[in-house]
Amino acid sequence: MEIAFYLSGLIAVLATLGVITNTNPVHALLYLIVSLISVALVFFALGAPFAGALEVIVYAGAIMVLFVFVVMMLNLGDQGAAQERAWLKPRIWLGPSLLAAVLLVTLIATLWSGDAGRMVDGEILTAKAVGTLLFGPWLMVVELGAMLLLAALVTASHVGRTIPPDKPRINAESGARKEVS
Amino acid sequence: MILTATHLLALTPLVLVCVTAIVVMLGIAWRRHHTAITIVTVVGLNLALIALIGVWRMAPLATPMLAIDGLAIFAAVLILVAALACATLGHAYLEHYRGPREEFYLLLLCATAGAMVLAASTHLATLFFGLELLSMPLYGMLAYTYHERRSLESGIKYLVLSAAATAILLFGMALLYADTGHLDFAGLATGLVADAGAWSLAGAALMLLGLSFKLSIVPFHQWTPDVYEGGPSPASTFLASASKVAVFVVLLRLVMAVPAFQNALLHSVLAVLAILTMLVGNLLALTQSNLKRLLGYSSIAHFGYLLTALVVSDGLAVEATGVYLVVYMLTTLGAFGVVTLISSPYRGEDAAALHHYRGLFWRRPYLTAVLTVTMLSLAGIPFTAGFIGKFYIIALGVEAERWWLVGGVVVGSAIGLYYYLRVMVTLYLAEAGMQKRDAPEDWGVRAGGVVVLGVALLIILLGIYPTPMIDWVRVMGGAMLGPTG
Repeated sequence: MEIAFYLSGLIAVLATLGVITNTNPVHALLYLIVSLISVALVFFALGAPFAGALEVIVYAGAIMVLFVFVVMMLNLGDQGAAQERAWLKPRIWLGPSLLAAVLLVTLIATLWSGDAGRMVDGEILTAKAVGTLLFGPWLMVVELGAMLLLAALVTASHVGRTIPPDKPRINAESGARKEVS
Repeated sequence: MILTATHLLALTPLVLVCVTAIVVMLGIAWRRHHTAITIVTVVGLNLALIALIGVWRMAPLATPMLAIDGLAIFAAVLILVAALACATLGHAYLEHYRGPREEFYLLLLCATAGAMVLAASTHLATLFFGLELLSMPLYGMLAYTYHERRSLESGIKYLVLSAAATAILLFGMALLYADTGHLDFAGLATGLVADAGAWSLAGAALMLLGLSFKLSIVPFHQWTPDVYEGGPSPASTFLASASKVAVFVVLLRLVMAVPAFQNALLHSVLAVLAILTMLVGNLLALTQSNLKRLLGYSSIAHFGYLLTALVVSDGLAVEATGVYLVVYMLTTLGAFGVVTLISSPYRGEDAAALHHYRGLFWRRPYLTAVLTVTMLSLAGIPFTAGFIGKFYIIALGVEAERWWLVGGVVVGSAIGLYYYLRVMVTLYLAEAGMQKRDAPEDWGVRAGGVVVLGVALLIILLGIYPTPMIDWVRVMGGAMLGPTG
C-alpha cells in the first residue's frame, strides 16, 4: 500500500506543477483534475475513504462542472469548434492522460492484491467516525465554517453588484461634488 | 472533549456576536433600515460585553479548542470596544452613502466573532478559522465603496496578499503537525519537549511569517499604507485596532505555549525584525503627506515596539503587552475616528491628505484637541496613555538587558516625534482659504463624536492615573498564566 501512497503523491506533485506552468487555463484545469484525483487516492491509501470520496465528488466533480462552464461561456460558434480541435492535439492531452493512467494502474493493482481494507497505518475512518468527530468536539469549527461562508457570501454579493450606487450626493454647503485633492 | 452546557455558557459572548450577525442578516432581508441595523449591532455588541462579566467568574475554562482565560477575555473586551467604535463611526460615515449600507454591520459582526475566536484559540484549527473569519469580512469592508478605485484596490490587495500569507501559515502548521502529530497548543508543547528539530523549527518560522504579515512586521509591511489609505475609514479603523490586537494576542499565546517558538535562533530573528520594524516604520512615515498612510506606518512602528515583549517573553512581558495593546487600541481608535468624522458623511474619497487638516483648529477646536491628544499619545509624551505603554516596553527591554531593542525604541520614538509634531503643526496653521472637507456641524453630539471624545478623555485619564488599567491587565494576565502557562 505504501507504494500506492507514494506513487499517488508523486503524481499529485507532478500534476500540480503542470497546473502552474501551463499558460492556457483549460489545459491547467486538466492537470488540476488529475491532481485532485491523485490526492483522493492518497486519502484512500491513508485509510480515509470518506475524505477520498468527498475529494472526488466535490473537488473533481465541481471543478469538472466549472471547466464545462468555462468552455461553454468563453467559446461559442465555429471559432469554439476550431479551438476544441486545436485542444485535441496529443501534445496537450498526453501529459494528463499519462499521469491518470499511472493512477489507474495503481488503483487496479491495489484492488487486484485483494483485501480492500488495507492501508498505510492506523484505523479506517468511516463516514460515521468523521460525522461524530465533526459534530462532537469539532462542532465549534463547523459553526465557524458556517459563519465564514456567510461572510464570504455577503462580501461576494456586495462587491459583485453590477449596478453601481448613485454618485455621492452633492455637497450642500460648497456645491462641490468632490474634493480636489 | 465534547461541548457541554458549561462550555456553551462560557462561549456566550461569541455566540451573542454570531446571533447578532444572523439577526442583522435577517433584518436586511426583511427591510433595509440603516439606523435600526446599527442599533441592533450596537445592542448585540454591548450584550456580549455584559456577558463577558459573567464569563469572567467562570474563567479560566478550557472549552474544546478555545481557552476562556484572562487573556482571551482581555482581548475580547478590546475587540468588542473597537467593534462598537467602528459601528458608531460607520453609522456617521455611511449615512449618505447611496449604495446598500447595512451589509457593513453584518461584515463587522462576522469579523468581530473571528477576532474573538482567534484571541481565544488554543488549537491550530480554531486559529486558522478565526484568522479567516477575521480576514474574509475585512476584504468586503475594505472594498465596501467598490466603485471607488482606491477602495477596490485596497480590498483586492489585502485579499491576494492575505491569502498568500494564510497559505504560508497553513504550510507551517502542516510541518508542525507532521513533526508532532498534534494540532492543539498543549499537544504541540509536549510533542516538542526536546530541542526542536529542523522541521518543527521551519514550521514555527513559517507560522511566524504568516502571522507577522497580518501584523505588518517589516519585511511583510508593504501592503499596510495602501490598504489603510484606500479602505473606507471605519474599515481601516477596525483593521488597525481589533484585527491587530487579536493577531498579536494569538501570537503571544503561541510563543508562550509552544517551546519551538522559544528557540534561541527564532528569538534573535524576532529581535532583528523588531528593530527593523521600528526603524523602517518610523523612517517611511517621515515623508508621508496623507494622514491615513502616516498612521499606517506609525502602526507598523508600534508593532515593532510590541515585538520587544515577544522577544523577552518572560517577567513583565504579558503585563507590558496588555498595557501597550490597550493604549495602542485607544489611540488608534481616536486618530482614525477623527479621520472618519472629517470624511463623514461619505462623499467620495476620504479626506485624509494632510492639507485637509490645515487650520482645522480654527474651525473645529474640540475635534482638533482630540487629534492632538492622540498624536501626543502615539508619540509617547507624558500625561498621555502612550507614555505609560512606551515606559513599560523600555522597562521590559532594560530589565532583560536587550540594549539593541531599547536603543531601537528610543531612536524610533525620536524619529516618530518629528512626524507626529508635523501633523499637529498643520492643525494649528492659519487657514489658506481653500474649501476644505469638514465634519458635520453637530459632530460632537452624534454617536461617533461621543466615541471620539470619550477615547481622548480616556487617553488623558489613563496617562495621568494608569493604576486601574495596570491592575486590570495584571489580573487578566495572572489568570492567563495560572492554568495554561
